Amino acid sequence: MGEPQAIDILVRRVARQVRRRRAEHHALRGAFWGAAAAAALLVFKSLLGLVAVAAGGALVAAGALGGALWGLARRVDAADAARLADRAFALDDRVATALEWAARPDRTPLVDLLVADTIARVEALAPRQIVRRVIPVEGRWLPVPVLVALALVLAPAIPMPSGRLPDFLPSGDQEQKEERTASTMMEERSRPLAKDPAKRPSLEERDFAARAGAGGATTAGDLSAIFKDTALSGQRPDFNSFLKKGDERLKLLEQVDRLPDLQSDFTNTQYKMVFRKSKSLLSGLSPDISPKKLRELLEEMERLGRKGGNWSGDASEGMEALEGGQTDRALEAMQRALDKMRAMDERQRAGKNLRGGRESERGRGRDRGDGTGAEDMDFGEGEGLLPGRGRSGAPKGEASSRLRASPFDVGVEGESRRGRKDGYDTNLTGRAGSMPSRLQYLGVIGQYRKMMEDAITREQIPRDYHGQIKDYFQALDER
Amino acid sequence: MSSEEARVQAFVTAFAALRAEVEKVIVGHRDIITNVLTALFAGGHVLLEGVPGLGKTLLIKTLAEGLELSFSRIQFTPDLMPADIIGTNIIIEDADGRKHFQFQHGPIFAHILLADEINRATPKTQSALLEGMQEGSVTVGGASRPLPAPFFVLATQNPIEMEGTYPLPEAQLDRFMFKLRVRYPAIDELNAIIDRTTQSRHVTVHRVMSGPTVLSFRELIREVPIASHVRDFASTIVMATHPQWEQAPEVARRFVRYGASPRGAQALVLGAKVRALAEGRYNVSVEDIKALAAPALRHRVILNFEGEAEGVDADTLIGQVMEAAEAVTVQGKEPFLR
Repeated sequence: MGEPQAIDILVRRVARQVRRRRAEHHALRGAFWGAAAAAALLVFKSLLGLVAVAAGGALVAAGALGGALWGLARRVDAADAARLADRAFALDDRVATALEWAARPDRTPLVDLLVADTIARVEALAPRQIVRRVIPVEGRWLPVPVLVALALVLAPAIPMPSGRLPDFLPSGDQEQKEERTASTMMEERSRPLAKDPAKRPSLEERDFAARAGAGGATTAGDLSAIFKDTALSGQRPDFNSFLKKGDERLKLLEQVDRLPDLQSDFTNTQYKMVFRKSKSLLSGLSPDISPKKLRELLEEMERLGRKGGNWSGDASEGMEALEGGQTDRALEAMQRALDKMRAMDERQRAGKNLRGGRESERGRGRDRGDGTGAEDMDFGEGEGLLPGRGRSGAPKGEASSRLRASPFDVGVEGESRRGRKDGYDTNLTGRAGSMPSRLQYLGVIGQYRKMMEDAITREQIPRDYHGQIKDYFQALDER
Repeated sequence: MSSEEARVQAFVTAFAALRAEVEKVIVGHRDIITNVLTALFAGGHVLLEGVPGLGKTLLIKTLAEGLELSFSRIQFTPDLMPADIIGTNIIIEDADGRKHFQFQHGPIFAHILLADEINRATPKTQSALLEGMQEGSVTVGGASRPLPAPFFVLATQNPIEMEGTYPLPEAQLDRFMFKLRVRYPAIDELNAIIDRTTQSRHVTVHRVMSGPTVLSFRELIREVPIASHVRDFASTIVMATHPQWEQAPEVARRFVRYGASPRGAQALVLGAKVRALAEGRYNVSVEDIKALAAPALRHRVILNFEGEAEGVDADTLIGQVMEAAEAVTVQGKEPFLR
């Protein structure tokens, strides 16, 4: 016994309904994605013209049609359709059971009764739509891409950037200048703000002059170099206006210098900049000190000293020595000037209540008689604190008994304090911290390095140790 | 009308007649009576649970009166021994003066057995029923003795009075096809009970069915076809009671220690077949499965400590499990096919 016709007709009818609903479902989804693609295409209306409009419409139609065809083409399982019919017509799973059991070889006599009963009930049914419509999420959002696409159709075309990049290639001169400008600007950016004392106009001028000299385009002290660091340099403006703007800038820089020091970068002071220059001058295992560079450095120090420092005399002395061919004396003079710069720098820092001021400053405070606080009870600074009799006349006893007596300072003489440890500042406590070195570091490090190189070539030192010794001096140099 | 159709019609009539005979005596409890008859025709046994005085014993006695079947009743007590149920070999002296063992049949040898307050006996005595309920026979002194067919056990227990009782072990519970909860009657039913039992009217219960008829109906029941999706639904319900099943609902994972056994699925489908045929249908529907899920599974789902502590009701749990099973069966189907 095959599938009875009435049951088969019912199942096919339900399957058709399912396919129709499925076609609607997928058509909505396809239309949504087609409309989205059309909207994306219409963005390029300026390039494609009316083709974009036509293609957009075609995409929507193709999406809807494709979805509908997909829904119609997919097969509907007869068991599913039968189950839907059972549920919709309250047939208590008769159709599904009859459909399944009618073709089974192990069918029982009751199956015939079931099939007959089901046919009778199915024939009595009035055909109606039983499959519910399911609107997909895309269907609910379909108006959005459709409206966007319509808006894009009606709106003027969105201008597209041309496919060819603008010609940024400069001529030979311009290229050289721009390269230099770019590098200069980068250096400028990395340097501190204009309000920093280390970046006063004179120093800026000096830097630019030096760099311009390196390029060979300008002479030292040429103020026009500063303008070459502006973005205007490539625009060929009127040179007079450049000059005018440059004057204004210089005035502004001077005014900025007089403004309250609110944003100074105290990690990059005049002293440090000069120190770095001196270090670069003396760097290397066998420094070949350029008299020209040394003179430039001394000149800069002398100029800075005239603006409020007390080292211009030392710098002048160094320049004189250099002119006389006495490089060592010039170096010693430079070292003295550097020491004075450092001292002033420390005073400025101490005046701003910044940590890291020289210990000698605190020692001076105690000399004034106000160093009675627990934090100021630092030993080894100033008279009267050494073993024996100090200024107060009271015996201080053995040093070992005082060591670590203060809970605030547990250092020993010559020991490095905790806290600030700059590369060039030993930051020592006690007498070593307050007394200048008898042998100036910068003056002797070059000699020591030369002696070291002579020694490792003359003496029988294992080759493996050569590298270690050089590394040691290199480390000293990096200080 | 074909012979099969006549058989079905006879079953429908007999079922309705027997229910009507019982309802002559028992007021209300129509679902209980229907389920007891369902278990009878499905070949299962029934555990009736309810407080005293609700007519559990009377229902069973009335059912026995409506059937042309032998009936025996055992009042379970703590000192009841297995031999008191099954029977024992006793020494008999014949006319020649020679003595020999003779098996004395116990009360279990009856078509319908009422095990009243079954949870008052010790587990040892309770387990005396195991073989008879499952195999339809008992073994005494190395000899297996078949029980009369149909063999139908109806046990009662009181859910409140727990002192001096021995809760049935899971193995014993699993032998019962249905566990039916006898609830307190409504006020109109109570009025009818008062009227029927306090007047001098005598109600006669007629015998409407014989043992062989019951057995033939049992054969007929097994011919009822079931669609694969309905069978799948029954299986899914049973599987969903298992907390270890990967698609088990949260309620089962949280509150169930052991899920229903395969006997639960058998009981579900067989009971659904009886229900369908009793309603004049030739096939099992999903509704049949749903209607019998609670009686067939409530005693087979063992709650864990959390479930016991939270006071989780087995019927509520099975309801939630059924919802989850429905969701599982339509899983992956398109929305318009659900």
